[in-house]
Amino acid sequence: MIGLGHYLVVSAALFSLGIMAVMTRKNAVNVLMGIELILNSANINLVAFSRFSSGNLDGQLYAIFVIVIAAAEAAVALAIVLSMYRIVKSVDLDRADTLKG
Amino acid sequence: MNINLLTQIVFYFFAGMTVLSAGVVVFSRNLIHCAFALLFTFFGVAGLYVFLGADFLAGAQVVIYVGGILVLLIFGVMLTQKLYELHLKAETFQFWPAFALTAAVFLTLITIMVRTSWHKTDLQPLDPTTARIGALFMREYVLPFEVASIFLLIALIGAAMIVRRRSE
Amino acid sequence: MNPQILKDLSLFYPEITLALALLAVIVVDLAMPAKERKTTFLVACLGLLLALAFTIPLFKVPQTTLFYSMVTVDPMSVFFKAFLILTSFLVLLAAPGSKELSKEHIGEFYALLLGVTLGMVLLASAVDTLMLFLSLEMVSLTSYIMVGYLSSERQSNEASLKYLLFGAVSTGAMLYGLTLLFGLTGTTKLSVIRDMLFHGAGAGNNSLTLFVLTVLVLAGFGFKTASVPFHFWCPDVYTGAPTPVTAFLSVAPKAAGFATLIRFFFTGFSTLSATSQWSAVSTMNWALPILMISLITMTLGNLAALRQDNLKRLLAYSSIAHAGYILMGTVVMTSQGLQAVLIYLITYLFMNLGAFLIVIEIYNRTGSFDLKVYRGFWKRSPFLTISMTVFMLSLMGIPPFAGFFGKLYVFGAAVNRDLAWYAVVGALNSVIAVFYYARVIKTMVMDPADAGGDEGRIRLSWASSVLLWVMLIPTAGLMLFWDRIQQLTLSSMKLFVQ
Repeated sequence: MIGLGHYLVVSAALFSLGIMAVMTRKNAVNVLMGIELILNSANINLVAFSRFSSGNLDGQLYAIFVIVIAAAEAAVALAIVLSMYRIVKSVDLDRADTLKG
Repeated sequence: MNINLLTQIVFYFFAGMTVLSAGVVVFSRNLIHCAFALLFTFFGVAGLYVFLGADFLAGAQVVIYVGGILVLLIFGVMLTQKLYELHLKAETFQFWPAFALTAAVFLTLITIMVRTSWHKTDLQPLDPTTARIGALFMREYVLPFEVASIFLLIALIGAAMIVRRRSE
Repeated sequence: MNPQILKDLSLFYPEITLALALLAVIVVDLAMPAKERKTTFLVACLGLLLALAFTIPLFKVPQTTLFYSMVTVDPMSVFFKAFLILTSFLVLLAAPGSKELSKEHIGEFYALLLGVTLGMVLLASAVDTLMLFLSLEMVSLTSYIMVGYLSSERQSNEASLKYLLFGAVSTGAMLYGLTLLFGLTGTTKLSVIRDMLFHGAGAGNNSLTLFVLTVLVLAGFGFKTASVPFHFWCPDVYTGAPTPVTAFLSVAPKAAGFATLIRFFFTGFSTLSATSQWSAVSTMNWALPILMISLITMTLGNLAALRQDNLKRLLAYSSIAHAGYILMGTVVMTSQGLQAVLIYLITYLFMNLGAFLIVIEIYNRTGSFDLKVYRGFWKRSPFLTISMTVFMLSLMGIPPFAGFFGKLYVFGAAVNRDLAWYAVVGALNSVIAVFYYARVIKTMVMDPADAGGDEGRIRLSWASSVLLWVMLIPTAGLMLFWDRIQQLTLSSMKLFVQ
């Protein structure tokens, strides 16, 4: 029988992979993909707990709002990346390190 | 083949697809491969939602994530091709320390997932959820619903504002 | 329509006003010709003032929760509402005078400012984990956009991207923690969560889970309040953003972050005893991790600020250090500690905004944030130099300026809880801080001006002078208002725990 634990293991795996992507990837779009993995893992948690831990649809509604937030974040992130691309393209390709780390 | 075994096979198929494509997203060198692997991850998650009886959510997942966010990501990847070489993020970890840290996090989480006694309730029958979700939006969740609409408005204005060309 | 919702709306006027003002600014901005800036500015001002006016009567209202226990109206949330709207108003007044912002079309900036204020107000009153996350993301996302406002400038873009990526990961981790909490208790309402935790939902094997989820949730709170080790975005973002935005970020979202941290841990994870002493859930003493964070934050912030030559970076590390002191007020878990947090925030608002105002003015005249151009400013503008001295002394915590009272109360709350060593660490850190604040004063007053620089006298516009006086009077003359402030914070330190 597929129980709560199965779903939680999947979400833990996704969360860990998401963190790995965020830590090791250099390209901003890649990091954004990692962030989407993290948010999806949280969503799986929410829907699984909604089924097994709360007798109502609270978790599913929570997940809907998380999807909304993720979409807005991705849109703004890509807007910024595109804006940066425009600036950098007109100057020579070079590292984004004008701000001291 | 009895239904239980079939259920398990399909579940493991979706779960496996999700995790394996997530692996491709994290470790692949080619950005386009990452984007398409992410597609399969999202589909896998939608499949898991169907298993959990969240039919509306599964549909929303496919429409918004695959149809919206993923398309946006692919646009971003295609339009900023040269940014492969541009390191947009200066501080990154070396691979093996990051891997060790991630493995530690994963093991901790697995321990928690398996050992904890989560709050248990009776399993409800798997009814369609769309109508109930709609009703909830107008009652218990009316405030987050309205706030989310303003939130999206701001995100829309902001994103458009950042990208538009200055006429100077 | 549901009568309960209609009744709740009558207590929701500030938020409704903010939302309507946001829409009005957008519409007016579209309707007006591009050169016309005054109208949108006035609409935004009116909106914020009206919202503030609607907030004041809420102080007398009995404590309750609104909209099916999503948000609450209690003295502390009303205090933060007024505080946050006031901060946004002051930043709004400073915005037109800044050379950085006037490069771009400013109508959207006012809309974003109203939007972030709405988000912060909701964040400070949220008692449901969904509402908490939603408003947190609303504040964060709007801040990312505000930081990247100068989208044709590279620094602004980089800062915005860094802020977004770091913030999204931190809040994503926080969300994961919140989902674990949902699984442990089966609910998203903080009051029900508390009841379940105190009845053993966190016991036995679950204590590890509780610990992990606390750490994850602290990632989100630490990010919002710029506490170590979630502070890495702070110096770069503060430097790259337009300075009015930096000034805003250093006070308002930080304060909102503290408000929600307090509410989450005090109503969700603790109970109040009759002697106004809070005690945490036995399986997770959340004060301990926050204590450690507070200690590292104070120290690292102060030490890093010593080496900064850029005023914005210096003030960034300074604000990180101040977050450490404010956390001290929450760690002690007494009502006195909460009162100390509120007092500290009031003083911090005026002295920090004041310092940033001067940085904006000097940038307008010299085009730089480097400490070098501050040399010998005494000759160019005695008024600016004296004001900066006042703000620096207040930030140091020297009496009789406002900053002293904030520190006094926070350290006092620690001592009263038999944590004298904690107060001593705080005091030592304040001593370290003296060095970098004093360096600014010394540069302005005593160093000779650079030979190649502009020598002319500076005259401030009357609007800027008035605004500067608005910051100076509470900073220098806090003792005049002391009674009112004491009373206000004493009555505001109550949280609604049903």
